[in-house]
Amino acid sequence: MKQQTKLSENKEHVAEQQTQSDPAKEFASSDELLRFDAAQTTVPPGIAQRLQKSAAEIRPATSRSWWKNVFGG
Amino acid sequence: MDNSSAEQDCLSRPPWQKVSADFAGVYQKHSRAIYYLSLRFLGDEQKAEDATHDVFLKAFRRLDQFRGEASVRTWLYRIAINHCQNLCSSWHNRHVLASSDDAVWETATAKTDSPLRVLETKELGQRIQKTLDALPDEYRLLLLLVADEELSYEEIAALVGQSADAVRGKLHRARKVFAAHFQKTS
Repeated sequence: MKQQTKLSENKEHVAEQQTQSDPAKEFASSDELLRFDAAQTTVPPGIAQRLQKSAAEIRPATSRSWWKNVFGG
Repeated sequence: MDNSSAEQDCLSRPPWQKVSADFAGVYQKHSRAIYYLSLRFLGDEQKAEDATHDVFLKAFRRLDQFRGEASVRTWLYRIAINHCQNLCSSWHNRHVLASSDDAVWETATAKTDSPLRVLETKELGQRIQKTLDALPDEYRLLLLLVADEELSYEEIAALVGQSADAVRGKLHRARKVFAAHFQKTS
């Protein structure tokens, strides 16, 4: 019984730690908030692949080299 | 070709050729800014993905029109803004409030000097989107542009076709309205 209590206490402690790992944040302005949001945003990798294909259709001879350098293919 | 003539050759090349030579680098440097603007302006991940692709493809097609008078980032923003506004134009009149009349907004601007508090950062994106969706297009665009530290007020003014002073005034109101709406989303 005592052990169960200890276990549940430990779970509570872990849950508390998890909550603490995502602490409340304060932003002084909308600019700061949006900058934070932008920095958290990841560009989907599929866009580069689509672009590579589209660019190759426009200028097959010249477009290949620079896309190839960075995105491969 | 020796170093000095190579440098001279590079300097004498038109701006669009320099951009063309490293278009992948241009994409890497600016794609997040363009994707973010598209995402928060259009409010839809798939539309933002398509828009980012289309913006860079348009830029690639129009490389010879890049004169180097503005920065590459500003040039890309201009294409992106036109593109996003065109996408919105079909439903613009139905979805956007009739005007950014201050009277509509002043009622919602109480307690906007306090910091914007966020308890759960994972919900931040949804709250920001909800807030931006409630703003007039003009305010939304200005807030997104000014959040990019690489843009000056003068560049923003040129992008939206207004004076820098007008941009500052509208931004002041836009920030207040944003803060008021954001607090309501908690």
